[in-house]
Amino acid sequence: MINIESTRIGFMQGLELLAEKDDRIMFVCADSLLAMRATDFVEKYPDRYVETGIAEQNAAATAAGLAIEGLIPFFATYAGFITMRACEQLRTFIAYPNLNVKLAGVNGGMAGGEREGVTHQFFEDIGIVRTIANFTILVPADAGQAKKAAIAAASIPGPVYIRLGSGRDPVVFEHNAPFVPGKINIMQQNGNDIALFGNGVLLPRLIKAAEELNNRGVGVTLVEVHTVKPLDVEGVTKVLTECGAAVTAEDHTIIGGLGSAIMETAAENIPVPIARIGLRDRFPGSGKPDELLDFYGMGINDIVHAALTTIARK
Amino acid sequence: MTARISRLTTIATQLRRDVVNTVYIAGDGHPGPCLSIADILTALYFDIMRINPEDPDWKQRDRFILSKGHACPALYAALARRGYFPPAELKTLRSLGSRLQGHPVMKDTPGVDATSGSLGHGLPQGSGMGIAANRRGDDSLVFVLTGDGELNEGLVWEAAMSIAKFKLTNVIAIVDNNGVQSGGTVEKVGGLVNLREKWEAFGWYAVEIDGHNMEQLVSVLENAAKRGRASHKERVTMLIAAHQTPPKPDQPIVVIAHTLKGKGIPFMEGNNAWHKRVPTDEEHQQAMAIVGGVDLD
Repeated sequence: MINIESTRIGFMQGLELLAEKDDRIMFVCADSLLAMRATDFVEKYPDRYVETGIAEQNAAATAAGLAIEGLIPFFATYAGFITMRACEQLRTFIAYPNLNVKLAGVNGGMAGGEREGVTHQFFEDIGIVRTIANFTILVPADAGQAKKAAIAAASIPGPVYIRLGSGRDPVVFEHNAPFVPGKINIMQQNGNDIALFGNGVLLPRLIKAAEELNNRGVGVTLVEVHTVKPLDVEGVTKVLTECGAAVTAEDHTIIGGLGSAIMETAAENIPVPIARIGLRDRFPGSGKPDELLDFYGMGINDIVHAALTTIARK
Repeated sequence: MTARISRLTTIATQLRRDVVNTVYIAGDGHPGPCLSIADILTALYFDIMRINPEDPDWKQRDRFILSKGHACPALYAALARRGYFPPAELKTLRSLGSRLQGHPVMKDTPGVDATSGSLGHGLPQGSGMGIAANRRGDDSLVFVLTGDGELNEGLVWEAAMSIAKFKLTNVIAIVDNNGVQSGGTVEKVGGLVNLREKWEAFGWYAVEIDGHNMEQLVSVLENAAKRGRASHKERVTMLIAAHQTPPKPDQPIVVIAHTLKGKGIPFMEGNNAWHKRVPTDEEHQQAMAIVGGVDLD
């Protein structure tokens, strides 16, 4: 039985720990207080709370203003309202001046938005932010990592985008598991027939797919890539060299996200066959998260099948 | 004319000369929108604002955001003449490796407090900076100069709503109301009418002035600045302009400055071809003959 905890609550716990120690920490909302489960934080730190109402461009540019003056604002709301509605504010007014603004986007991925439908499912966010210079992108897999990602973001200079989920997110890691931004996390190394790279909500499926592959006698190196940017190019290249074939898996369009990042690294450093698991350039819809992931090609069987066919291309 | 006003008028003329020179040398830029704000910038940088060019990052300084960033040749001229960098550097405007980018960049140019140029962003950035000043507990002010065409951007009004809600009396907005944007009049292009009423409906206290009348400019901006540094109790009775009721103590102030695009160079005045255009050699000479001041060397 998989435990469920909220990446949003994890993130806010991290922010609370930060706020206790550092009075530069601010929390910017675009009427996203309830979505962020942040009422406790605001009761505890009312003077850290900047509420712009449902106005994400305003929230992002106001956060820029706070950061210009040396504060460390965390602006949190739905992933698409940050990365699409306020895209230009992120690019020109936060990333270009390399300001210390931290952004947390919830409902990241198709499963993250699940029953809401496409307006609230955001599977392009990482691709969008990845094209913007100076950004660090963190994709925590569960609540514990979300907490660690929030804490880590405060000490990463410049803008950071943290992708969060629906709030009903499977627990993957022990709470005391290390989280080292900028480095890949090699979770299993049971051989080197195939490398599986993944992050976020798909990690539990990757773990099961790795089990299945092991049962079939396939040696798997399972790698979590929670830091999509800057990518641990050295670590990824090493794994690709050892395995000679890879599958990437993410709850994101196959264009522009983790899959693209791994493929770009492979093409430049060690060209090997790679298959991408993700949303295949189409719009999904409402549904239960597991149903959606299965229906749109992110099932355990899809990963296993992609691994086997990619090994055959070696 | 008092010595104070006379000095400022001379400086404004110098900034106009610098604008024409820099746009001419760069071979690119927006002279018309620079000339409409030359007097406003002069009042701020040479009289009203608490700044120290030797310490551009001084915490207690007043901040300025040129939200209409395309008018930066005027801002750069003001900064150079105020002593932030040598006026000769103005000749590098828009050239490779220059600290004077085509639109203002906060970490590149000494004295530029915020990146701007994509319209509509000065007010929300100013909002964050005003909140930060309150957190610091100092009495520094944030001046935001916006265009009027720029007010087409919904973001401006998102920020206007917020700043009124946050009661940021330390943020002072100035609208360069020259009435014309790139494609024509602000009424025709964006449907901008009832400007004063719009600000008032968003909770602001609006005061309208002649943006080329230096006496009016310094009088109203000085009152707004004093009020911005005052306590809540003091603000209750503080006037911004004679013959107007005082603002409510928590209201932010917007100064709507009626201006003329191209002001000071007769053949540019009111001619929107000069929104973005480079003077020919002949036009440049003609302008130099009209406008006083010294050149960039």
